[in-house]
Amino acid sequence: MKLLKSISLYVDRKSFIHDIDPITKLLYILFALLVPIILPSFTISFFCLGISILLLCAAKVIRKTVPVYSFVFLVLITVVIIQGLFKPENETVLFQIGPVAMYKEGLLYALTITLRVMNIVSSFLILVLTTKPSDLVETLVRKGMSPRIGYVIVSVFQIIPEMMSSMGTIMDAQRARGMETEGNLFVRVKAFVPLLGPVILGSLINTKERAMALEVRGFNSRAPKTYLYEEKKYTHSRLIQSAMLVLVVGAVAWRIFV
Amino acid sequence: MKKQSMWSLRLSTAALVLIPVAVGVNYIGKLIAASLKLPLWLDSIGTVLAAMLGGPVVGALAGAINNIIYGFTDPISFVYAITSVAIGLAVGILFFKGYISSWGKAIVAGLIIGLIATVVSTPINIGFWGGTTGNVWGDSLFAFILAKTDSTWLASLLDELVVDVPDKLLVVLISFGIFKGLPRNVVQLYNNNEKIETLD
Amino acid sequence: MKKIIVEGLKYKYPLSDTLALDDLSFQVNEGEFIGIIGKNSAGKSTLCQALVGLVPHFYKGAYGGKVIVDGLEVKSHSIADIALKVGMVFQNPFTQVTGSKMTVYEEIAFGLENIGLPRSEIIERTDYVLDMLKIEQVKDHNPFDLSGGQMQRMAIASIIAMKPDILVLDEPTSQLDPAGSEEVFSAIQNLSKQGITVILAEHKMEKVAQYCDRVLLLNDGKMVDLDSPEKVFSQKDLEEHGVRAPVFTRVCKALDVKKAASDDHPVTLEDAEKALRGRML
Repeated sequence: MKLLKSISLYVDRKSFIHDIDPITKLLYILFALLVPIILPSFTISFFCLGISILLLCAAKVIRKTVPVYSFVFLVLITVVIIQGLFKPENETVLFQIGPVAMYKEGLLYALTITLRVMNIVSSFLILVLTTKPSDLVETLVRKGMSPRIGYVIVSVFQIIPEMMSSMGTIMDAQRARGMETEGNLFVRVKAFVPLLGPVILGSLINTKERAMALEVRGFNSRAPKTYLYEEKKYTHSRLIQSAMLVLVVGAVAWRIFV
Repeated sequence: MKKQSMWSLRLSTAALVLIPVAVGVNYIGKLIAASLKLPLWLDSIGTVLAAMLGGPVVGALAGAINNIIYGFTDPISFVYAITSVAIGLAVGILFFKGYISSWGKAIVAGLIIGLIATVVSTPINIGFWGGTTGNVWGDSLFAFILAKTDSTWLASLLDELVVDVPDKLLVVLISFGIFKGLPRNVVQLYNNNEKIETLD
Repeated sequence: MKKIIVEGLKYKYPLSDTLALDDLSFQVNEGEFIGIIGKNSAGKSTLCQALVGLVPHFYKGAYGGKVIVDGLEVKSHSIADIALKVGMVFQNPFTQVTGSKMTVYEEIAFGLENIGLPRSEIIERTDYVLDMLKIEQVKDHNPFDLSGGQMQRMAIASIIAMKPDILVLDEPTSQLDPAGSEEVFSAIQNLSKQGITVILAEHKMEKVAQYCDRVLLLNDGKMVDLDSPEKVFSQKDLEEHGVRAPVFTRVCKALDVKKAASDDHPVTLEDAEKALRGRML
């Protein structure tokens, strides 16, 4: 079993994309989602996807997108096959492999889905690959998100690898005691329970002490929170955000008047 | 005794610290299901447990944060945050109303949670994927129903149902089993409503 | 000035039938260094937690009597308010790591950010405690990658950085080697000399004897004694309360050696040596 050391995909590089404000990147996701909805055409969708991929290249993280895209493609292949074969509106046979006919309507629909998914995933990847989760959370907390919720989100990134390593320890112990992880389903399920018990119980018991330790460090203090680091100065936030707004408004106008 | 403040939004620190652990437990469940090659996900044990221990608000928050965090490794799961929130809410309500207090009731609750998850996920599946789920068994059924009935909605609903109901049933049963095995003083920790009694 | 006033303190954990703290009353002066000793589950940790308000606010349960720390009544103040006056370091260094910070430096600053200190002050205090606890060389490491002993130093540093008037430590050196413990204890003693009131629950009796002004002996939630280390450790029935005196005291007891001009046995190496040499002459 692969035990993760870090669950974030963040890649630490120097690029102008890395220096863009996390909020702007969040808004870009919304932008990439909205524009193809406002102007539903393949050209626009390809265009948006193209921009995202260019940005990923500019951020020097395009190689890191491969595992995510491959996973998405795996699911998309099912979509293509099923829609191409069975979509209720299917009429025009595009090509035939033996007794199996692929239809144009289904395949076009599958292409729409593929573009939509790729668009969302790509715009998300820009945020995820070029933003340190803690920077994103800190930005949101400065903008008024509850610091308590901020704590919870950031701590997941540290606590999961800790739980993984304690599970690794327990798994080794179980294996040494001859636990079966191979065999029929019943055997496998039976192996599952003794694995979970100690890790979960241990982690829950730890929550008590961790909560107490947080309390005595002013976690529930009503004083306005301050920050060790100065607020990061991000460049061009206004400009990029306004540009996106103008484009969205332009898209709406195009939709209505053209 | 717990009913009045089931919806309290002022979460105790212990309940907040429970959330990262819940996300971790979800993750471990998912890993184990994958490594044991189970045809299910088992990725919501933590959310269900958090809802049992901390109530619907903690359950919903654990669900939401779970999918937000997963979103950092697999952007698609972000979209399904709504389903996770629904699971957390539903388990919290059922549990605190006393509908998950025995194995028999837990089975019924598991089926209900499975149905709720299905109903919430199906529109997302249709909007996002055109109706499929990415699960081999479910998608085969989807193809079969679509070929027979021409109804994407029915096909998609059943696609989700055949995976979600057994999955959530098992998840609720596992979580209930773990819950019953927890020491009382751990369970008590997340209960925010107790008052301090006086010995004066 | 009385820094801590405890009057008739009783406490029962939820779901428990027995009192964890049973009618405790004592007072502590500003700048005193008090050791709390007793066997496991005698109530040491519970008493420590009662001084910061975790008992009763965190656990709930049943509470009676009064604890006043630096003029604040614990029962009617939040833990966050009390935490500005009383700092507490727990036994397990691992669970004291917040889990939300990537470096030791940020980890120490966590509490200071919470209480809203200005940035310059956060940096100044963090640098100061890193130096004091000798963990400067790991300040950029991930907190979870530290050794148990380094984690323990970080936990202590994190609390000291909050500059409490009263410092409560619950077995703070369990993960440290003898040399490391010694360093940490002398750092704590320095704070004590600067006027900070220190309450230390500890089972290393030699350390208690060496550093504490007075020792509070607990058994089954009741206070058996609160007196100078010599008086407490010279008690005949000490072992009935589950406590063994420092090894020097036990040797001197066996040889019936007493401190000059007193009825008590020596409790530190230095005093024992003096007394034994005195007898040999």
